[in-house]
Amino acid sequence: MASEELFYATIRDVGARLRRRAISPVELTRAHLERIERLDPKLHAFVTVTADRALADAKGAEAALGRGDISSPLLGIPIGYKDIYATRGILTTGGSALLADWIPDEDSTCVTRLQRAGAVMLGKLITHEFAFGIQFPGHRYPPARNPWDLERMPGGSSSGSGAALAAGMAFGALGSDTGGSIRGPASFCGIAGLKPTYGRCSRTGVLTLSWTLDHTGPMARTVEDCAYLLQALAGYDATDPASSREPVPDYVAPLGRGVRGLRVGVVREYFFEGIDPEVEKAFEQALATLRQLGASVEDVQIASIQSSGAFMAILLAEAFAYHERDLRERPELFGELLRERMLAGALITGSEYVQAQRLRARLQSDMGAALKRVDVLATPTSPKPAPTFATVYDPEYGFPRSNTGPFNMTGLPALAMPCGFTASGLPISIQITGRPFDETTVLRVGHTYEQATDWHKRHPAL
Amino acid sequence: MTLEELRNRMKAARVEIAENRLEVVRRLLTDALRPIQAMDSRAHRPLEPAVTFDAVRSRGDRGQ
Repeated sequence: MASEELFYATIRDVGARLRRRAISPVELTRAHLERIERLDPKLHAFVTVTADRALADAKGAEAALGRGDISSPLLGIPIGYKDIYATRGILTTGGSALLADWIPDEDSTCVTRLQRAGAVMLGKLITHEFAFGIQFPGHRYPPARNPWDLERMPGGSSSGSGAALAAGMAFGALGSDTGGSIRGPASFCGIAGLKPTYGRCSRTGVLTLSWTLDHTGPMARTVEDCAYLLQALAGYDATDPASSREPVPDYVAPLGRGVRGLRVGVVREYFFEGIDPEVEKAFEQALATLRQLGASVEDVQIASIQSSGAFMAILLAEAFAYHERDLRERPELFGELLRERMLAGALITGSEYVQAQRLRARLQSDMGAALKRVDVLATPTSPKPAPTFATVYDPEYGFPRSNTGPFNMTGLPALAMPCGFTASGLPISIQITGRPFDETTVLRVGHTYEQATDWHKRHPAL
Repeated sequence: MTLEELRNRMKAARVEIAENRLEVVRRLLTDALRPIQAMDSRAHRPLEPAVTFDAVRSRGDRGQ
């Protein structure tokens, strides 16, 4: 059996080992498949393990390396895809009984780009049902469990992606983020996750939850690994109407430039309401670290931040619009929780939807004004650590307040990364948000902080 | 939002939600609509409902 150290290596480190032939892609892939076979029965991160495909990809990478091809840092790197990304010839369920037999004819653009970069497809990672509904007991697909505490949620909806990464079962993963579905699991699982700017990464071939809020993006154990994945993912896609033609910069090279002289704005209003004291303490310590590293830290105001809750009105209305036919014709194929959430979207009036979009425009303007004064915003990713399944299964448990949704409203790039642990050993996360298409600065701040701390080096006992 | 208003909206939208889940849905919608209902649209300068994310145009508007 390969060592734990190998499974928790970074993409850069393991890539270097692959390129100097210290380990082969096939050996690396076999080791991961064995680890998945050993650990996943208790974590449920994978819906489908594509062992044959993984080994075929790995053999292809081995041949490429044999030809001296070292052009891609992802060549031979085993990763997983959230199961709302279409994969040609491979079951894509969306975590839903509705799609229990769907085998797409095409890959999603993001999958195509990562495969073209030489990544090895380990399999499909469980998602909350249609990226919105937690799987309750008895659901066709059991929910992923948090590797730090199996009785707790790994977050969602990219739950399998977060669990697989924290458990060392993949080096990277695709997530999607409509209200925090990349950053929430990153927060609860102690990993890094980036929601890029709206339009930066293609949504083509990804199941829709809410057209104007959906984002695709990378998840990994380090900020640098997110940068490697983003480099392969980012760029214009003519098949996605929201795709941007903004040029793609080098995301990796500037990571080492530090934060000296950068201005970090802390938004106190809204993001600290109901915050857990341990989360607040870890966040303040992270700010102190950024100051020590040379950044200036100041409080900033976003006048309309309290209107962020309107993002749920947009999400509900758009989700109902997308799923209405199935909700009316085959409601029994939706999980109960998801069905009631989506039906709630039918109760939003046209006027309310329009006003929510107008509030969104105002929030976008106000955040833009704040980002004229500072380079990035910093907030806690989640005001509380991961809840237990028992908590969320309580019939009275509502939809939690979101520290991530405001940045889906505004489309700004937002990174979640570890900044501490609770006394009981649960990860705590900081969220760093930047200007439109300035993922470079967001990643640079995150990487600099990460290099000065060791939170990302802690791993759950499994 | 009251439960009565919720039921009226369900009737108008032709959807059914289990009686024992109405309170949870009421709370979800109340939270989502609170900022909208607090907004006096006449009090704001003209705001378009269309949201754009165009990078070039955004630079002037959003601080780059």
